[in-house]
Amino acid sequence: MLRASPDGEAMSGSRILGLLLLAPAFVFVVLFFLAPVVLTAVFALTNMSTATGITGGAYQVTQSAMRELGERHGEQALADALARVRYTVDPAGIDAATAEGASTALVSELDRKLAGESFDSRRELERAIKALDNRPRGTRALKSLSALFERSIVNTRFATEEEFFGAVAGLGIELNATQRAALLATTYTGWTWTSENFSRMFSLPDTKRTFLNTIIYVFATLIVFNTGFALVLSIVTHYMPDRPAGIFRAIWLLPRISPPVLYVLLWKWLAWDTGFLSRILVPLGFESRNWMLDNPTNAWVFIVLINGFVGASMGMLIFSAAIKSIPVSLFYASEVDGANRWQQVRYVILPQLRWPILFITCYQSLSLLTSFEYILLATEGGPGGATKVWALAAYLTALNNYAGNLEYGYGAALALVLVVVGVILSLAYLRLFDFKSLVAPPPIEQ
Amino acid sequence: MRILLEKFTKSFGSLTVIDEMDLEIDDGEMVALLGPSGCGKSTTLFAICGIHRVSGGRILFGDRDVSSVPSQQRNVGVVFQSYALYPHLTVAQNIGFPLMIRKESNADIARKVDEIAELVHIGNLLERRPAQLSGGQQQRVALARALVRKPDVLLLDEPLANLDAKLRLEMRSEIRRIQRETGITAVLVTHDQVEAMSMCDRIAIMNEGRIVQIAEPMEMYDNPASDFVAGFLGNPPIAFVDGVVTNGRFATASGAMTVSLPFNAGERERKIRLGIRPEFFRPGGTQPVAGKITFVEAQGRETLYDVALEDGQILRSIQTATNAATVGEKVNWGIDVERILMFDEDGARL
Repeated sequence: MLRASPDGEAMSGSRILGLLLLAPAFVFVVLFFLAPVVLTAVFALTNMSTATGITGGAYQVTQSAMRELGERHGEQALADALARVRYTVDPAGIDAATAEGASTALVSELDRKLAGESFDSRRELERAIKALDNRPRGTRALKSLSALFERSIVNTRFATEEEFFGAVAGLGIELNATQRAALLATTYTGWTWTSENFSRMFSLPDTKRTFLNTIIYVFATLIVFNTGFALVLSIVTHYMPDRPAGIFRAIWLLPRISPPVLYVLLWKWLAWDTGFLSRILVPLGFESRNWMLDNPTNAWVFIVLINGFVGASMGMLIFSAAIKSIPVSLFYASEVDGANRWQQVRYVILPQLRWPILFITCYQSLSLLTSFEYILLATEGGPGGATKVWALAAYLTALNNYAGNLEYGYGAALALVLVVVGVILSLAYLRLFDFKSLVAPPPIEQ
Repeated sequence: MRILLEKFTKSFGSLTVIDEMDLEIDDGEMVALLGPSGCGKSTTLFAICGIHRVSGGRILFGDRDVSSVPSQQRNVGVVFQSYALYPHLTVAQNIGFPLMIRKESNADIARKVDEIAELVHIGNLLERRPAQLSGGQQQRVALARALVRKPDVLLLDEPLANLDAKLRLEMRSEIRRIQRETGITAVLVTHDQVEAMSMCDRIAIMNEGRIVQIAEPMEMYDNPASDFVAGFLGNPPIAFVDGVVTNGRFATASGAMTVSLPFNAGERERKIRLGIRPEFFRPGGTQPVAGKITFVEAQGRETLYDVALEDGQILRSIQTATNAATVGEKVNWGIDVERILMFDEDGARL
């Protein structure tokens, strides 16, 4: 008789339980991390926009489509032919004439003599009708009858290829294979697969500017505030008595815990032309203006300040904790070894902060790279795109712009660049930190 | 260099830890500050090296008043209990740190580091980092760093507390050797009476912020000024028996133990306390006392016995490990009465 050992049962039981517990995490990872990245990559390879929609499209001969057919495919003659209005005596027209109240004799004569005939102009059709025995009396009746046979496919939406080509054939136009392909490409109103987003990205001068803006934004904020100012704060508070140091740190935490919209609104009040700064500066002889949006330099100063005041607190906390973990005897030792405050900072504190500084730099560079909320709230990328960073550009292109045509495809392509840069940086940082050695058990003393 | 503390006072907030302490340490002398934790010995050391400011009184190095000189300018070498080596620097950089701070030339630093490393026997470890060293090696590096710039004073704060027993023994003699070779004035802070006795020229025993007695180790062992000193020095510790003396005859309250003392306090009854060291209570001692063995601890070369008197007071005896007395056995061992230490009611030596 076979019997599973209690150990084995416990093992498989705990394994199943483990998988069960992991399942929600797995689902969330797939739903909220993997799927967006995959979809971004997919969208980036399309020309989706508000105009194309994200579902399928139809075939439609529009003015711009015909211009494109002539200019890009060299089919000017075909374009002219498709755009031309013609007059065809077809069953639909004859039925319409009956409904409009034409005499039975006229209808049957039209059917007999002119059915299937096509005319290039209205005058030709009317001349043919006038030649009939039962022709309508009076010009008005003639005009209203001929209007019923006016045929054009311009601006008509055809749901399928077959319908579209049927209609084209109905115009008496014969198409060869190249013409068919060109026609499909130019008249399709839905989205298509394309790599144009990327060639467009690399050719637009706007891209270079956005790229440089992003570099300025990330590095200025990172160096001046998230690392630099955070270091200054943590070192200064280290040398302060405990209570004032605590209060001082708490104050610098306030921007982090205040609601972003209100926080930025306060900055706007500070900078508006009737705001706080103007109130103080105008009496001193300065001109009243919006100090934030007055010029690109000002805008950058404000952007870096707004983000920096928020970002400095995290570095401050991490660095303060790291300084606190330095044994106090090291400070004593360096003191009796003759080191003054500055030498203590340089030779004792900073070497011990090497990893925290590197960590904050890496972590914050990644989060700054993708963050644009404070810029959106403060300047919306202005003045004139001077503070438009990559993530904001992607957002504005794909999800919110003045023109109203949201370019999902192009926006996704912009976002994909961020994803790729982020992944590369993350891998590089993990390597730099030697992830394995970080999670390794610490060596036991002696 | 001579160290002189004059009415040295140290308080933290409203709490006065040390009140008007006087201490003189001669040039080239090594003195131990010995006492239980919280007695103020480390506070004194930190005040001497300038990490703590004095609240009152003066500290002199030679004839120089350093009371208000910051520690950076006192030229003291300190070995901390945790060694306080800079973890990111190599051994050579650690030792050379005080010189680097003084901006001495690299060649000078290298030469001095080599010299001092030779003295403390770590010449082969100079390129390592502290984490790659054993406790004893770290200790030597800390010592070298403290000595490299030829300090006026060497201060050692529980330097052996973090070492295992064997290393402790080795470093005890090493530190003493180095102190003798360099002729430096040194202060050792410790709570371990063996360290204090074996390493130092004199011991200043401290209790509750005061120096209770300062003397050479053997002098202090033989002639403790109080029962506190007697109880602190000696391992296994001295045993105390309380009772009264009349006409040179001592008896405990219950009469469980009576001995004649070479001490005449007159006819009047007087409460006293006897201190009997374990080595002076043994078979063949001059004044027999009856008791029962309650505890036996074999230490190899010697065996330690606890002997309970009838009224429950305990005497200790240490003997070479030949006597095969066992727990529960009744014994009638004797006290070497001329070696008995006598203290009055307040603990002062009679």
